[in-house]
Amino acid sequence: MASNTSSAHQVVGKRLPRVDAKERVTGQAIYPADLSLPGMVHAKLLRSPHAHARIRSIDVAQAQALKGVLAVVTAADFPELPVGATIPMGETGYDMWMVAAINLARGKVHWVGQPVAGVAAVDGHVAEAALALIEVEYEPLPAVLDIAAAMTPEAPVLHEHVFTKGVEPRPRAPSNVCSRTVIARGHAARALEGAAAKQRIRVEVDTAHQGYLEPQVVVAQVGANGFATVWASTQGQFTAELMIARMLGMPQSRLKVVPLEIGGGFGGKIAIHGEAVAVRLAQKCGRPVKLTFTREEVLQGGSGPPAGARIDVAVGADHEGRLVAIEGTYCMDAGGLPGLSPSLLMQASAALYQTPNLNLQGYDVVTNKPRTEAYRGPGGIQAAFAMEQAMDALCQRLNLDPLEFRKRNAALTGSTMPIGTPFPSIGLTTILQRVGEHPCWTDPLTKGRWPRGRGLALGYWRGTSMTSAGHITIAGDGRPMVTMGAIDLSGTRTTMAQVVAEEFDLPIGDIHISTGDTKSVGYSDGAAGSRVARTMTAALVEASRDALAQLSRRAAEKLQCRTEDLGYARGVFRSHQVGGPAISLAELMQATLTDGAVVGRGVSTKLPLGVEIGAHVCDVEVDTATGRVTVLRYTAFQDVGLALNPAAVEGQIEGSVVQGLGWALTEGFDYGPDGRLRNASLLDYRMPTALDVPVIECVIVETPVPNVPYGVRGVGEVPIVPPAACVANAIARATGVRLTRMPMTPERVLRALEAAARS
Amino acid sequence: MRDFVYERPQTMAQALTLLTAGDAKVLAGGTDLIAQMREGRRSAGCLVDVKGIGELTRISMLPEGGVAIGAAASAAAVSRSAIAANYPAVAQSARLIGGVQVQNRASLGGNICNGAPSADGVPALVCHAAEARIAGSAGTRQVPLEEIFVGPGKIAIEASELLVSIVLPPPPARSAVAYLRFTPRREMDIAIAGAGTYIRLDQRGVIAEARVALASVAPTPMRAPLAEQRLVGERPTLALLEEVGRRAAHEARPISDTRGSADYRRSLVAVLTMRALGDCCGQLGIDVEATSK
Amino acid sequence: MKTLITCTVNGEERTALADTRDTLLELLRDRLGLTGAKEGCGNGNCGTCTVLVDGAAVCSCLMLAQEAPGHAIVTIEGLAKGGALHPIQQAIVEIGGTQCGFCTPGIVLSAKALLDANGLPTDAEIRHAIAGNLCRCTGYGKIVEAIHSAAATLGGR
Repeated sequence: MASNTSSAHQVVGKRLPRVDAKERVTGQAIYPADLSLPGMVHAKLLRSPHAHARIRSIDVAQAQALKGVLAVVTAADFPELPVGATIPMGETGYDMWMVAAINLARGKVHWVGQPVAGVAAVDGHVAEAALALIEVEYEPLPAVLDIAAAMTPEAPVLHEHVFTKGVEPRPRAPSNVCSRTVIARGHAARALEGAAAKQRIRVEVDTAHQGYLEPQVVVAQVGANGFATVWASTQGQFTAELMIARMLGMPQSRLKVVPLEIGGGFGGKIAIHGEAVAVRLAQKCGRPVKLTFTREEVLQGGSGPPAGARIDVAVGADHEGRLVAIEGTYCMDAGGLPGLSPSLLMQASAALYQTPNLNLQGYDVVTNKPRTEAYRGPGGIQAAFAMEQAMDALCQRLNLDPLEFRKRNAALTGSTMPIGTPFPSIGLTTILQRVGEHPCWTDPLTKGRWPRGRGLALGYWRGTSMTSAGHITIAGDGRPMVTMGAIDLSGTRTTMAQVVAEEFDLPIGDIHISTGDTKSVGYSDGAAGSRVARTMTAALVEASRDALAQLSRRAAEKLQCRTEDLGYARGVFRSHQVGGPAISLAELMQATLTDGAVVGRGVSTKLPLGVEIGAHVCDVEVDTATGRVTVLRYTAFQDVGLALNPAAVEGQIEGSVVQGLGWALTEGFDYGPDGRLRNASLLDYRMPTALDVPVIECVIVETPVPNVPYGVRGVGEVPIVPPAACVANAIARATGVRLTRMPMTPERVLRALEAAARS
Repeated sequence: MRDFVYERPQTMAQALTLLTAGDAKVLAGGTDLIAQMREGRRSAGCLVDVKGIGELTRISMLPEGGVAIGAAASAAAVSRSAIAANYPAVAQSARLIGGVQVQNRASLGGNICNGAPSADGVPALVCHAAEARIAGSAGTRQVPLEEIFVGPGKIAIEASELLVSIVLPPPPARSAVAYLRFTPRREMDIAIAGAGTYIRLDQRGVIAEARVALASVAPTPMRAPLAEQRLVGERPTLALLEEVGRRAAHEARPISDTRGSADYRRSLVAVLTMRALGDCCGQLGIDVEATSK
Repeated sequence: MKTLITCTVNGEERTALADTRDTLLELLRDRLGLTGAKEGCGNGNCGTCTVLVDGAAVCSCLMLAQEAPGHAIVTIEGLAKGGALHPIQQAIVEIGGTQCGFCTPGIVLSAKALLDANGLPTDAEIRHAIAGNLCRCTGYGKIVEAIHSAAATLGGR
């Protein structure tokens, strides 16, 4: 349930139903798997059974000869992309050789499940049979399956061209350590030594999965003139188009990507997985191709899970509980290809604390497992699992209330962020105050059969802005028709309809909104980094004002006055003179239909950040005989800047928290010694069911971002950051024992309790 | 997936003819079989859908006392049926198989014939001294249920035979059965370990008879005879139940796999056995502070 | 092999040419064009393929197309009557119990089966009824709230 979020607006800030909810509840929402085109054929990918191997040869002759097989492709059907060829993607760019490798291995395979060939056939049964006829000669190589093994000097090197970045002098030998990142100020080691109280913790986090319920599916069709249309479940249609075009060596004007509904992404559907292969198959066989992944494929190397990690943190404080130093070493498991830079997660773990001394080192390490991708605030939950537990342990050491400790050390507007710049307006102090006043903190812990405890953990995520574009045309009945460039991953069709309704002073029912494909709307980066609501708001505010300016000029001409003489309200341009002329948008459009379209355009690039901050409180019960942890109560406090739609904001928070609880308690990949995932099904990869989680109560705080339309902050990523640490802190308070491996499965909890009891 | 012929016989005789022809498998709820066939783990040229045969779906009270549960009756039907009154642990076990959707299709017969050591339906049935009624071309035989299990995925029922029903004798006076299992999530998981217990008290309140049936801790569902023997002749106390739990854990022969280590499974057996026995005591009006509640 | 299957879906008799190996899910999606039921896992562990068979919620990925004749099958497309949403659908819309929407058809049907049998369920009963329907977006809170609301609308008996 929401707290009272007052808003000075008519439509923005209101708890309105999603504009696209009806399609969802009636089964009319179309996802790529639902698409059926005349003549469509079915494609499947052949995947590597080895974690690390050279591909000596691939013989597709028998597969091609099978009745019902229409086309077979391997990496030989694609241009080889040089290392270093990047595509622009927001702030960091994306290496195409990695995108290509994720989609179809060339020369080597680096994880079980990596695709090596693709087949299109008349139906799925024939496609499966054809896969079995493709003969791949592999030369298996020794594999490394964990960070520690990968970092030893004797480890087999996955990529001969990868030399550790961020190390001076440049190393001469390739390494599995792809990069080293340092964020430091002051003298952390010395300050720690002299600290009145200090705590160290090492945590290990198993790889998990974003767990989107919709497996990857793509439909590709190539027209007679060679123009390709791709219907994808993607977080970014423009990014997808760029990746497909580069992988195929095709000019961007020869294809378009049409986003359909997406059944969850959470960061795992930013890169393409099969789209380019589907296009090449369609080119080869001249029929539309539908390429599908089974759930087993999704989990067994067919997609990019978030990174496992080994993180060491040390924190020290003075007698009054003021932090004097934070040290951290973050080793992130990138999987089979170099991964995301650890910089953001490092910053996130320390950002909320004021301290003069900071030394954070991050390492991106490759191992022979699927190449990792983002998962809501990538690295955040892993880093918080270490840092927030270290802080909590420090509180126990100092006998200091954990909330009081946070207040004492909280970053404020203007405090120095880890990267050295000052914090823009933030509301951490407000959040902490709200926590202290809330029953979830002030209610005494209820008693039960088993030990219970209450935990607190903070979360921070910077998010990103990048580019969003959209345009607004006005229909013949005067109603705005909005085309947004960014994918709706979090309910932004609704919130953006609210923004445009607000700008036009119209009811939300008057706004039509849709997401454009890559040839019908301006370039927009993918839906990720908690950026869409904020940046799309800015773009559509600009587009609204542009459209209204054009309308104003038309109205002035029709009413034979100057634009300055006109006011606009509730869909009507009215002369300022009492009794003066007026014209509604409908009348105006009818009167000027043949004068050309009214098109309002807007784009937002590099909008000032609206960083996300949250504080979570939970009560748990620990069955000390079995290790089962039950979360009894969970409250998430978050500063959202301005809640465009409280229901949407709550939905993001509740869902993201439950994802965090899943990784905290039951979700983790179990790799065998051969690099094969042993729990590649939703039976044994255990995501929370409705019975496994309590109601997640949300408390929304609003500290607007200055100089940004409506002051909106990102919402969707930070809620996943605190839950594991929050639960771990609660377990520590209940039992006196800290869990340092995530997920904190019942078996691990029981073992930790027993080990503590023995010592 | 290999192609197959689908048959839906109306009588047992028709079903047996199809099964005797070979390369045929029985289809009841399909919640194990269909998934396995699609994954290539099991295959058949003919699927014999037995849900149209009355004897296999009926749940009937027997004239001599006791009950016969049709092998293909759905778990949901079993849990809602009149057997819940006298066999609450069986009804409750049926509600543990998967979730609602699975229970609406899955059958106890299928749960048995899948031959998984983790079968949640089995321990409570074994504790009730259930027998399996099996039809073949040569006639019908009835054997103690626990003798059906030979190894993981292997049962002592020929491909040409058909499990018709599970027969339960009437529960003796002053007896109770309970089944508890441990899963990381509340539902939908395969049991990491499960313990079914049965005790019968004599007039003095002393345990006259006991059974302990364990799931997921051996190649098949297993009894724990040493644990059972420890119970007989004793009055139920918390200390006794704890000791019996430990004995059962010692008798268990679990492996380590992705779901849990052997050690953890043993730990769970000790706890679950103790708590299940505690539940039995609770059903009999004895409070030993050991229940799952 | 191909085989002709005739069955009753959403109150109508439907006939389609299917593969003998088709599951009910494939029959519905690929042969009858009823794409509301989804494939999330293919082995009964996610519930996105949930349909009602004779009023009971089942995973259509674990039922054969050839088993369909003789049963009354209801898919999500059969719920709204003449464009009017069923109270469960309406409540989910109003309260915000759907985000990406992939789990929604299955959850609506599981909820319908529940409310048809139990008009005033408790929180625990609702959560048990939808435990076989994974949702990754909402955290379940608003879905449970919506089902309570629908129960009240339906008169809660």
